[in-house]
Amino acid sequence: MSAAASPLEQMVVVLARDLADGELGAAGAAALVPMAAIELARELHAPNLTIGGEMFFNPQPGRLYPSMLDDRALGRCEAAETFIELFGHSHHGLDFFFHSGLQVDVFGNINLHHVGGTLHAPKMRGPGAANLSYCHTSTRFYICPTAHTARNFVEKVDFITIPGHLSGPEAKRAAGLTNEGPRLVVTPRAVLDFDPTTLRMRLRSVHAGNAPEDVQRHTGFDLAIRGDVPQTPPPTEEELRVLQERIDTSGALRA
Amino acid sequence: MDGDTRPTRRSKITDLQEAAILARDALRTRPELCLGGLFKQGRPVALVRALLAAGAGGLHLYSSPGAGYDVDLMIAAGAVEQVFIPGVTLENRLCPNFRSAVEAGRVTAHALDALTVVGGLMASAHGVPFQPIDALRGSDVLKHNPLLREIDCPFTGRRIHAVGPIRPRVTFLHAQEADRWGNLRHLSTMVYADQLMARASDLVIASVDRIVPDEVILDDPSRVTVPAYYVDAVVEVPYGAHPTASFPNYAMDEDHIDAYADLGDAARAGDREGLAAYIARHVTGPKSQDDYIAAIGGTAHLARLEAEARHG
Repeated sequence: MSAAASPLEQMVVVLARDLADGELGAAGAAALVPMAAIELARELHAPNLTIGGEMFFNPQPGRLYPSMLDDRALGRCEAAETFIELFGHSHHGLDFFFHSGLQVDVFGNINLHHVGGTLHAPKMRGPGAANLSYCHTSTRFYICPTAHTARNFVEKVDFITIPGHLSGPEAKRAAGLTNEGPRLVVTPRAVLDFDPTTLRMRLRSVHAGNAPEDVQRHTGFDLAIRGDVPQTPPPTEEELRVLQERIDTSGALRA
Repeated sequence: MDGDTRPTRRSKITDLQEAAILARDALRTRPELCLGGLFKQGRPVALVRALLAAGAGGLHLYSSPGAGYDVDLMIAAGAVEQVFIPGVTLENRLCPNFRSAVEAGRVTAHALDALTVVGGLMASAHGVPFQPIDALRGSDVLKHNPLLREIDCPFTGRRIHAVGPIRPRVTFLHAQEADRWGNLRHLSTMVYADQLMARASDLVIASVDRIVPDEVILDDPSRVTVPAYYVDAVVEVPYGAHPTASFPNYAMDEDHIDAYADLGDAARAGDREGLAAYIARHVTGPKSQDDYIAAIGGTAHLARLEAEARHG
């Protein structure tokens, strides 16, 4: 075990700390960091956290996989479901979910469909989204892209696949988005959250080794940095030990 | 005469070529093809290859909410006109031919979400004119989704969405086992949307890794995932999901899919030779599944995927 945490390990720890005991949630499509966060929370403070909503309950993967939609990644699990249950979970709601995307904008809207051009004449066509109902029906979600550059953090997305806070409180109300929506944006460089009045993204803390001005330089919109920006509390020795010894046994978060 | 005149029940076992012709001819009347499985597992890829070899075009593709390799391959072979699948990706990278074809305007990829697809299949399977959806707000997908309508909830008056029935003309499924009558057993942990598709479609053709004796089904009926009543034809195709996985029998062939994607990326950049050779070698060339298995590296190669499925 090494003392210094990798950027992905730092992301995992920030996310794990925000998940509460007794909650229900799922990892989403890009599962590496979210699944590690869920597992870490279950190991350290949330033993009654239930993983559900993606055709299985409480998987016990032997190591981390980039996708959870793989029988090997599930390892053993307590119950298997089918896509019909998507309606059940959408209507009952999850407590949390995780999203990532080609572009993320200042209001936490996420684009997975196209960059440039239009939907049917795109300059670059993305994958789309296999499940966007949870952005509305899970109480909150986290945005956790594994890259943080001025190219993927843009002022306004070209297409809103997953609605974040749209263009602010007014627009959110008008669209009928009554849930919290995106709570935190956790990247390899920093933690960002949303101003409660304007719902614009702002810099909350920088991970060890990152200066606030560097994070601003790699972000395509104004982060409204005022005064000192705190450092993200690094992983404790226990968090890092449990993560490396019991969850990320193949070192995927350090690759 | 007593027992001797008893009529015989018809076996639904057929072969790949016959299944492909059955599907191709049905799709000529309405080109809506639906594929079982999800992303890199449980995909009926041998049936897809056979259909491409038999000659199909202008297809409208449906699937469970996530697809990748097989959809990209069908696009590379020029067989697809429209895609009605929410997520099309190889997960670790984008689908090269899907991307190129949509960007060039050769294929229309509709913006959809999972509830629309699952709800549309539910409406079809249940014989109702629409499935209500009360879980979509604020996404640009709603502005473009061709299958949704806004309606007033007759009870609360709230604006909600409705999706009409999705009725595939043909559905291809892959399961691990079936009997000769077409009772399917998925032994994988997830069964995706396969059961729903079987009930929603006109014509259902399944490939299985192996046909099992009738007794296997009769001894454990609750293990049957799709009753034979919903299945029109079944084909025994060893490794019929390759290069996707058929758990617990064999894992996905990530190296094969990656090599294919590299050829697709080269085609994007203007060099189509490798992709054309790939299609000749794997799709139009093989006369049988045995030929295909030889083309991908033989049984030694597949033994590695079998070991991976068992041990991770």
